[in-house]
Amino acid sequence: MKKDKFKGYAKWGYIFCIPFFLAYAIFQLYPTVYTIIIGFTDLKGVTTTTFHFLKNPFENYSFILGNSMFRKAFGNTIKLWVCNFIPQISLALLLTAWFTDRRFKIRGQGFFKVIFYLPNIITAATVAILFSALFGFPMGPVNDILQNLGLIKEPYNFLIKKHASQYIVMFIQTWQWYGYTTVILISGVLGISTEIFEAAEVDGASGWQTFWLITIPNLKTILLFTLVTSLIGGLNMFDIPQLFVFGGGPDNATMTTNIFIYNQAFKGSYQYNKASAASMIMFVIIVVVSAILFYLLRDKDEAALERIKKEASKAKKQRDKEAAKASASAGE
Amino acid sequence: MKKKVLSVLLSTAMVASLLMGCGGGEAAAPAADDAAEDTADDAADDAADDAADEGDSDVVKPEDGEASAAPTNGGEGGTINLWTFTDEIPKMIDKYIEDHPDFPYTVNSTIIATTDGAYQPALDQALTAGGEDAPDMYAAEEAFIIKYSKGDMQDYAMPYKDLGIDVDAELAAADIAPYTVDVGSNTNGELDALGYQTTGGAFIYRRSIAKDVFGTDDPAEISKIIGGGSGNFDKFWEAAKTLKDAGYPIVSSDGDLWNVCKHDPGSKSWINEDGKLQIDDSKLAFMDYSKDLYDNGWSNKTQAWQDAWFADMSGASDANAFGFFGPAWLINYTIAANCGGEKAGEGTYGDWAVCDSPVGFFWGGTWIMANKNMDEAKKDAVKELIYWITLDTSEDGLQYKWANGTLNGEGGTKDSVASGTVMSKSDGSLDFLGGQNMFDYFVPANKYAKGDNMTQYDETINNAYTEQVTQYAAGEKSKEDAIAAFKEKVATDLGIEAAE
Amino acid sequence: MADTEKKIKVAPVAKKVNHNPALKVVIYIVCIILTLLSIMPFVIMLVNATRSTNEIQAHAVSLIPSKYFFNNLKILTSKSFDPKVGFMNSMIVSVGCTVLSIYFSTLTAYGLVIYDWKLKNAAFRFIMAVMMIPAQLTTIGFYQMVYKIHMTNHLSMLIIPAIANSSMVFFMRQYMVGALPYELVQAARIDGGKEFYIYNKIALPIMKPAIATQAIFSFVTSWNNLFTPMILLTDQKKYTLPIMVSLLRGDIYRTEFGSIYLGLSMTALPLIIVYLILSKYIIAGVALGSVKG
Repeated sequence: MKKDKFKGYAKWGYIFCIPFFLAYAIFQLYPTVYTIIIGFTDLKGVTTTTFHFLKNPFENYSFILGNSMFRKAFGNTIKLWVCNFIPQISLALLLTAWFTDRRFKIRGQGFFKVIFYLPNIITAATVAILFSALFGFPMGPVNDILQNLGLIKEPYNFLIKKHASQYIVMFIQTWQWYGYTTVILISGVLGISTEIFEAAEVDGASGWQTFWLITIPNLKTILLFTLVTSLIGGLNMFDIPQLFVFGGGPDNATMTTNIFIYNQAFKGSYQYNKASAASMIMFVIIVVVSAILFYLLRDKDEAALERIKKEASKAKKQRDKEAAKASASAGE
Repeated sequence: MKKKVLSVLLSTAMVASLLMGCGGGEAAAPAADDAAEDTADDAADDAADDAADEGDSDVVKPEDGEASAAPTNGGEGGTINLWTFTDEIPKMIDKYIEDHPDFPYTVNSTIIATTDGAYQPALDQALTAGGEDAPDMYAAEEAFIIKYSKGDMQDYAMPYKDLGIDVDAELAAADIAPYTVDVGSNTNGELDALGYQTTGGAFIYRRSIAKDVFGTDDPAEISKIIGGGSGNFDKFWEAAKTLKDAGYPIVSSDGDLWNVCKHDPGSKSWINEDGKLQIDDSKLAFMDYSKDLYDNGWSNKTQAWQDAWFADMSGASDANAFGFFGPAWLINYTIAANCGGEKAGEGTYGDWAVCDSPVGFFWGGTWIMANKNMDEAKKDAVKELIYWITLDTSEDGLQYKWANGTLNGEGGTKDSVASGTVMSKSDGSLDFLGGQNMFDYFVPANKYAKGDNMTQYDETINNAYTEQVTQYAAGEKSKEDAIAAFKEKVATDLGIEAAE
Repeated sequence: MADTEKKIKVAPVAKKVNHNPALKVVIYIVCIILTLLSIMPFVIMLVNATRSTNEIQAHAVSLIPSKYFFNNLKILTSKSFDPKVGFMNSMIVSVGCTVLSIYFSTLTAYGLVIYDWKLKNAAFRFIMAVMMIPAQLTTIGFYQMVYKIHMTNHLSMLIIPAIANSSMVFFMRQYMVGALPYELVQAARIDGGKEFYIYNKIALPIMKPAIATQAIFSFVTSWNNLFTPMILLTDQKKYTLPIMVSLLRGDIYRTEFGSIYLGLSMTALPLIIVYLILSKYIIAGVALGSVKG
């Protein structure tokens, strides 16, 4: 009975998803498939459109994997992402805990929420201009302040120092995105039933306990979203490092894999094939890492449901079998 | 069932779009011969028909070349498409049309800034896609002109002689600066592009500092002191020591000096005959120069276009730099704008003078070219505009107005132009330079610069090189490590291995 | 841990006790510092919009306004910067993108969450995979395609692809799993609601907090989008505001910084207004969230 009802509605699932796939097929499919294919060819050069498949189809891939600059870029990307994600998510969780704890009654939190998101509104280009002005050398506001405070004697050239420029990029990323993450997390908390919180309150749970035992577990799907999108965004980091300290920074210290790909494809030689191979390698890495995250943070309820369904069908089969056996034995 | 239909649909669309990609691309390349074009297009057509319900079938048609064969905009009242990256050329052309109301076309300008890196990709797409929106005239600047004149995109450029210009005679009559011709010629030696402004460089110095240290501010004397025109920097470094003893760095930034070294007329290009990377001695020497500037305090360690660099123009630094290397536009648009005053006595206004650079160079510049695939009917009009901008030496020509700052009425900014003929009858004296006629030094500077040692990879290679030079000069790494890192970067980004 | 549990048992009235006031002070101090950091660039931008290019070149950052606002405005409008046209185009693209991506992403998410169909998991995995493809390269294929089919200068080429916004589908799905109980849909069906009616009248309202957040992000992203419009829109009548600002920066040899900052401020202003309007929903989300029971 119930199964029939499900079947009747199944077509709506297809109908609701069709617009997405149609739009994708029209606008994105060709570029994507084209990109994947040229990774196995010798295509390079801005106007070249004829290409040949390579004898060793993975030649570009082995070049990229063996290339020390790609490895360095990959290391940078991981470093820049991890070191901006940790402070960013910590700050966002802290703010979420403060703002959604009804007993704190933080005044003006609407105002704060709105303000914290503001750095995300301005374009990366503007941010880059502002920060390179702030860290100007030998004269610039940051150098002036540090010198006036007596922290440094000589002006410090931040933008030619590897570590300094990495830290600045991490700072900018955190600064730009903690507000976004906070807003997402808060909207997630708002989706949690208030009754649960009220019940916790009645039970006398402290704010800290409520947060860890109620908010976080109920926020898991949204946390997974934040983690996965930030991972994707982080491993595809491009704008700020590209614009802030041109094309890779001092001695390639802020060169991310996406800048590497961009340089391959658009700087002088137009090595589309190698850029494509590098893109695909990054794609595989992101898929694998995301899959692990999904597995670790999978929706336990859903998984449990699946298990129950499976067990039920198993049990049913078992029963059928037994019934068959029984009838068989009865027949005997 | 649905699954199957969907997958068939998707794979058809995929195949169609792929064939469209390869075939279409080939067809768009102007040099592709007809046979290849036809087969490719047929294949694409068939595939597209198969996927007709995807709405792709009309995709292939427009690039068959029909659009350019049948004049869509020919004759009176048509449109010429101009692609450029600032409003400079569009404004010139507006002026031309205003003065020549009988000009039969309207000019539709597409301006895409180079700063965000979108100009080249957009222009490349527009040229390869063709059709009636394709550019008929387009502009390129120093950083990427080689790609369009003699590099990957040269097949899209129509040589000036095909426009109906008697190139040799006109070049001689206008006495065009030779480096602009070098840069604008294609691999067959035909002229594809010319500019209007010239950017041959000189040394621009502070008169008060010259008097203080050398006892004279006479350009001829200072030229001798810094070894102007000598082809090397020996005397320049002697002057640097003298200046330093008196408390002045000779330049503001080592980047100023790099602009000279990278175009050193005596140096070889970055790429040798075998297509390998070579580091010419004069470029290698820049590493030592940069280190010397850094360690000896001969520069203020600034960076071009940053606060501290401008401070050396207004005289606001703790120890003001003696001078800058630069072409005429640097004086008018940059130093004058940042000198901290508007008439003599204010800021550093009037305290500047121009003398020869020890080594010839040029910095910047815009070249104009025509699309080989443009509508036949537009050719004369495009020629008319290009001729007026680049070769017309009369007082009605653009260059005369540009040199004398009269394009938009008296009192405009004076600039150095490509035609020596025009410069010789123009007046380049500026109050900003204490009344000096800057053309006295920029005319020879334009002759002195050379542009035959550039490659389309220069911008990328130069950036990779100066990055490593900075690391070395600042003491972050050794010379060997810096050179090795540079070679690796070029090999990876450009696929060009180092020679040796 | 054990201690606190004991304490709670001993003193269940804790909820009435005010939280540590020192902590509250810390919270306010942190919030104020973050506020200053967040508005810093806007202050610098607005102040610089009133300063002359030479002042900015001498000191890029200042907190003291100058008197060149109208001068900058004059330069701005003389340089093919047409705020009206730019504003209209930016509005069309951003509103179009936002509406399409919100509606269709929620629709797709609804299809993925509420219905049980054979390809459901495959579809979701595919959408996730799409989201993970590095965009740097595929965009070039897209430009090539648009130029080949001669659809440059059509704003629709920037708007319609927004129907397939994979990361928004992902967010909507994640949110819906927690916020839209299946029983609600069941109940509506029993009341005789048609599927699209249920989606429009029941699912969409419940999704409001998520829609408000995503609408802001989508609007901001497409409003600030520079590279793709710059390549696909070559007709000045179709330029968006960021393209116009980019043109101001185009001539590096003589950049008018004062007017650039003014242009940037003018670009950011509508964004801030839209944001403030939408942020009302985020703040008011408490009530909306509790609809669900």
